[in-house]
Amino acid sequence: MRELTIALAGNPNVGKSTVFNALTGLHQHVGNWPGKTVERKEGRLILGAHQITVVDLPGTYSLAARSLEEQIARDFIVRERPDAVVNVLDAANLERNLYLTAQLLEAEARLVLALNMADVAAARGLRLNPEALAAALGAPVVVMTASKGQGLAELKAALRDLVAASGRRAAAATLKEVAR
Amino acid sequence: MTAVTLAAPGAALRYAPPIEAELDHLAATLGAVPALAERYPLRWLAVQLLEGDEQLLAEAESLGGPAVTAALAASRERLAPHYGEDLDVALVDQRYRFVHALAGQALTRPAAPPLTLSDRIDQVVTHRWLGIPIFLALMWVVFKITTDVTAPFVDWIDATLSGPVSGWVAALLSAAGLGGSWVEALLVDGVIAGVGGVLVFVPVLLALYFALALLEDSGYMARAAFVMDRLMHALGLHGKSFLPMIVGFGCSVPAIYATRTLDSRRDRILTGLLVPFMSCSARLPVYVLIAAIFFPAHAGLVIFALYLTGIAVAIVIGMLLRRTLFRKQPPAPFVLELPPYRLPTLRGVWRQMWERTAAFVRKATTIILATSIVVWLLLAVPVRGEGRFADTPVEQSAFAAVAGAAAPIFAPLGFGAWETSGALLTGFVAKEVVVSTLGQTYAVAAAEEEAVTPTTFGEDLLGIAGGLVSATGEALRALPGVVGITLEAPEEETAPEGLAAAVQAGFEASSGGHGALAALAFLVFVLLYTPCMTAVAAARHEFGSRWMWVSIVGQFVVAWLVALLVFQGGRLLGG
Repeated sequence: MRELTIALAGNPNVGKSTVFNALTGLHQHVGNWPGKTVERKEGRLILGAHQITVVDLPGTYSLAARSLEEQIARDFIVRERPDAVVNVLDAANLERNLYLTAQLLEAEARLVLALNMADVAAARGLRLNPEALAAALGAPVVVMTASKGQGLAELKAALRDLVAASGRRAAAATLKEVAR
Repeated sequence: MTAVTLAAPGAALRYAPPIEAELDHLAATLGAVPALAERYPLRWLAVQLLEGDEQLLAEAESLGGPAVTAALAASRERLAPHYGEDLDVALVDQRYRFVHALAGQALTRPAAPPLTLSDRIDQVVTHRWLGIPIFLALMWVVFKITTDVTAPFVDWIDATLSGPVSGWVAALLSAAGLGGSWVEALLVDGVIAGVGGVLVFVPVLLALYFALALLEDSGYMARAAFVMDRLMHALGLHGKSFLPMIVGFGCSVPAIYATRTLDSRRDRILTGLLVPFMSCSARLPVYVLIAAIFFPAHAGLVIFALYLTGIAVAIVIGMLLRRTLFRKQPPAPFVLELPPYRLPTLRGVWRQMWERTAAFVRKATTIILATSIVVWLLLAVPVRGEGRFADTPVEQSAFAAVAGAAAPIFAPLGFGAWETSGALLTGFVAKEVVVSTLGQTYAVAAAEEEAVTPTTFGEDLLGIAGGLVSATGEALRALPGVVGITLEAPEEETAPEGLAAAVQAGFEASSGGHGALAALAFLVFVLLYTPCMTAVAAARHEFGSRWMWVSIVGQFVVAWLVALLVFQGGRLLGG
């Protein structure tokens, strides 16, 4: 079975580390000092028969390579081409967070959107429409509150679907190679 | 919670038709280069090249050769009539429009968004006009706390160390048969006078770090950076530069390390060079001592003005650097997260106060102890006259010879005496040493004059305890003064005695009768000159040797020039 890689991308302070911990079970300090996640953090996630490496990218507001963090995130997404990118967003500040999403989309990353901090958004009276977002982006959208463990099962399910599809695509690609 | 999966084709982000046409052209050209086609998504690469990404441009040109350069130039040429020089802005703008439309679909905002408490506080604190006055008022309160409220404790520690503690050491040495020997002189005049002279400022630092911890933990510090962003932009700096600058008011060393939070190397170095102009807390003891001697009625005002002077000099130097050494590099855009306000916890605040002050004390008992002993040795070794080791007049010691050789440099600034130049020399080791060296160079001569009344150990302990109680009382009475309310009539000025009188006489002599002006020039010099060796080491670690030397030499020159301006300018104005 081919080794799969998933990257976590998102703005700083959106709960990315919490999502990472929940996915991998790896203990990790959650803090918000700028530059804290500059080093690469990896964890393992078992999804069905798949062993997946989860890479926590540094929190960035964009993918323009202006800072070390942005450079790291961009190079990983563009050059390493992870099998999927989980884009964690602060649902309470959706518009600002979507700029990174637009750039990820442009970099042809296979996205799963995790609209985190849904509780804060609800408290501010914001009504999310994940269906519309998913339709507009052609990517699965999960609404979650990672700090309370809500939505994690849905995120894993979305990843499992994506992995299955990716497996089928890989198989199809292999078949094409063979046919040639 | 919901999960939605749709297999619809990605509604890719589309730019305006002229840009899309050029993206297609470019992607085709880039696609003809296998090395590029393998490594990058082509449309993405085309967008980055149009947006002006220099790193990718260099890579694409080296791999793709002149064909890529020509295609890009042609595309830019065709787009110029539409967007002029601002193609990159147009791309970002169109991306934001896409995001805005997307957010409009995905989100329904309430008609009247409920304001959180944080929002309501921010409406005032980050207000267009109120923001900066509120910031300055808070800084003012911080410095009143560190000067007025802590003063009684400073006096108490000083009295305890120079009185009972010195007495106990002398008594112990007498019991061991070493009374009156050079060992006693070393311990009392070198060790206790040197390190003790620094330890008296522990209350000042505890208060400063208390205030800084409150500002940081409450979340106000991020607002301060936001409020100051316009000023920071005038410096060609990022709003985030303000954080290291504020930390610089505590200590330049962590401030230089705090520049790591900045995104571009240009901003990091520029901020690192300006940080030492933010008056660090180790310089505060020097201000407190000199200001109390020469400007007893306006000490707080003088010290506050010094802090503002540091900021003003940083602004000017920042603008100069931006137009010279950093001319070619544009500043990075400002993005800052404002965390919600939180009530600082007692434990968190105490931990910060304790850790930072303890770090200072550790420094005081290692580096500063060593310096104090070296200075004492220089003072003890006779180079002229009839004196013996540890029993030589100060003006005949090796220290006076070394400091005297450097003194002429400071003559035009009004403090060309060997006592002050010696203090400035040791100030390179750590700024607070300036105070202890002044204590040694001036007070050594005056030490014999003090008459000591013998007391018992018990009486000493009672005296120390009583002193602490009355200091606490005085500090509590000083608290209302922090916000400008004075409950008591101002104290009558007392004639300075001992060290104060010696320092005053010294400045009067070296400046030809303009003692106060020379003291002001001295304070400005201490504010601006070469940072301490620990800060210099930090700068070397972060920015390299070259920038370290820029900092060492540059700041000395700046300090000398500004102090000259203060002294000579003041004399011209008749001060």
